[in-house]
Amino acid sequence: MSALDELRGLRRGGAQVRKRDNRAAFWFLAPWFAGLLLVTVGPVLASFGLGFTRYNLIQPPRLIGFDNFARILSDTRLHNALRVTFTYVLVSVPLQLACALGVALLLNRGLRGLAFYRSAFYLPSLLGSSVAIAVLWTQVFGTEGLVNRVLGFFGVEGKGWISDPDTALSTLIVLNVWTFGSPMIIFLAGLRQIPEVYYEAAAIDGAGRWSRFWRITLPLLSPILFFNLVLQIIHAFQSFTQAFVVSGGTGGPSDSTMFYTLYLYQQGFSRFDMGYASALAWFLLLIIAAFTAINFWAAKFWVFYDD
Amino acid sequence: MFRGVRRGAAWVVLLSLTASLAACGSGSDAGGDLTTEKVTLRFTWWGADDRHKRTQQVIDMFQKKHPNITVKGEFKEWNGYWDSLATTMAANDAPDIMQMDELYIASYAERGALLDLNEAKKHLDTANFDQKALATGAIAGKQYGLPVGLGMYSIMVNLDLLAKYNIPVPDDTKWSWDDLKSIGDQVSKAGGGAVFGVQSPGINDAAGLSIRARQQGKAMFDADAKVVLPQEIARDYWQYILDLAKSGIAAPPSVTVEKASAGLNQSATATGTAAFGLWWNTQLTALTAASGAKLKLLRLPGETQGTAPGAYYKPSMFWSVSSRSKYPAEAAAFVSFLANDEEAAKILLTERGVPANQKIREAIAGQLKDTDKAAKEYLDTVPVSDPPRITPNGASTLDTILKRHTEDVLFGRTTPDAAAASFIKEVQSEVDAAK
Repeated sequence: MSALDELRGLRRGGAQVRKRDNRAAFWFLAPWFAGLLLVTVGPVLASFGLGFTRYNLIQPPRLIGFDNFARILSDTRLHNALRVTFTYVLVSVPLQLACALGVALLLNRGLRGLAFYRSAFYLPSLLGSSVAIAVLWTQVFGTEGLVNRVLGFFGVEGKGWISDPDTALSTLIVLNVWTFGSPMIIFLAGLRQIPEVYYEAAAIDGAGRWSRFWRITLPLLSPILFFNLVLQIIHAFQSFTQAFVVSGGTGGPSDSTMFYTLYLYQQGFSRFDMGYASALAWFLLLIIAAFTAINFWAAKFWVFYDD
Repeated sequence: MFRGVRRGAAWVVLLSLTASLAACGSGSDAGGDLTTEKVTLRFTWWGADDRHKRTQQVIDMFQKKHPNITVKGEFKEWNGYWDSLATTMAANDAPDIMQMDELYIASYAERGALLDLNEAKKHLDTANFDQKALATGAIAGKQYGLPVGLGMYSIMVNLDLLAKYNIPVPDDTKWSWDDLKSIGDQVSKAGGGAVFGVQSPGINDAAGLSIRARQQGKAMFDADAKVVLPQEIARDYWQYILDLAKSGIAAPPSVTVEKASAGLNQSATATGTAAFGLWWNTQLTALTAASGAKLKLLRLPGETQGTAPGAYYKPSMFWSVSSRSKYPAEAAAFVSFLANDEEAAKILLTERGVPANQKIREAIAGQLKDTDKAAKEYLDTVPVSDPPRITPNGASTLDTILKRHTEDVLFGRTTPDAAAASFIKEVQSEVDAAK
């Protein structure tokens, strides 16, 4: 038997094996798939229907046409929530990615104990959207918190950062920036992919550190940057826990931490207006979809694929 | 966590859909006999540590008398309580027995979430309740809540602080809101930035505003659930709060907001950082324990300057049973135990208000601690007028709307006048939206 025949035989057997594998995979996936249908797809579709109703959580829903969607246009508190959310997304995501990239570049220089630093910087993003961290945040930025003690040491008088509407959102932005670990890990992986020879060639041609960064690192990293950008924007739009915990569920003071999702939650669970809350959820989906589409469109102009 | 909430919300939708299909079948009968099978009742309340300990003791007593009934207590802080109640209610997973507030009872009852306790009469003894008291928990003839206790709005003064600064206790039989301001100012000056005169009102409770209206013969709502609060009264109220903050009689706004959001144990009264605060008289014991200071109940300012006393007996809370409880008879029996058992009452005392059950009120009189006695005496002696109408369906967000407007005023984002207009408009539209 020639080697070629043997290979053919293998391939034929392989097809059968693959078929069997597929079936096994299906069964292993079935619980997840059932969960997806029951817990995600079903309710998502139901919420679309509820968006056209008045539904107070207890009595049966009642059709009201497009009233809920019309209300989105005139709801001034919602417009404030949109302003807060856009500020949060547009300020915290670029800052977060800049931090992530900066630290990734530092760590990529072959430090000793890299694994330790990597974990240390990654840790906050595991904890970032947890209740515990949000509670910690109220302590750190409270009137008698860590920040004010440090400021006090330098003779600067602090204030309640979270309980003042001028600064409350900033503390949440800082919190989001602090959780730069997960994009950082992705950046690090991307940096590892850039062939060393490019840098060597550039160095021979006399390129300085700065121009190597601009002309080699950044273009070759741009697909990764794009990926992180899309992901983090979506993530930031969906932020909820931080604002909920820090404001005691109110979005206060003065609606200054009223994230879109928190407003949605309040409509559904404090005002018992699940119809409007459902409409808001679908509107948020549209906003996120629009942002993502714009991102993909803009990517043509700055993302470079080195194929 | 957002993912968790989203998934939770998804469940809610799904369950409520299936629930509406399955709503035809029902469990045991409210008027039937108590079961001898093993059942578990869920019982939920809001409150501070002191309440949790006492309530758990009473649950243990009940379980000893009914070995087949397990009562599982679930307790939370005020804010989280209502969010979680709404969620579990929608998921058809509401606790069997709920501590209910005047602010929410109409909202839940009118949406059909509460059992008419008359259906469970067989197990629930209300003989020792005054009809007027019972009526506070009834809507259109149906008893959706059994009043637990009565409370009154009051000023709590920290006597230790006044003694420390050599400031005499004001005569509360005829003092005005301006008197509170001026004595608060003395405290703030003596306190040197660490202690303030008055804990700013208007953050946690709309009762203060209601009192101001009542003192001038007005009210927040009329019988038809229309908002009839005059704009000038609301404006003066916020102007007063703004003056307190601006003149340093109350703590700076960010401190005020922080403390008020952190719960009773972190409040200015509990931490001894303000000499005067508006509280329910029945919170005296909890606040005395939290502050470790000697606190005294004073009458509200402005009670003799206006046309009528603003003070009234407020049912501090109600016991309600879920209309979807599988064990309404057992739940009613537990409520009856809470409301009528003398041994239980001797543990609960006045922590949830001076008992609305008159027999119980007398039974515990000898048992009361000094602070509880003071709360009872306050209730027995201070003049009141008729209570305001129950907070209408839709207006259960009244307190949070008030808080947001107070914050807007305190942080200079709006004027007292604009806040007053916006507040009235928003509350009215909330009531209209629920119709």
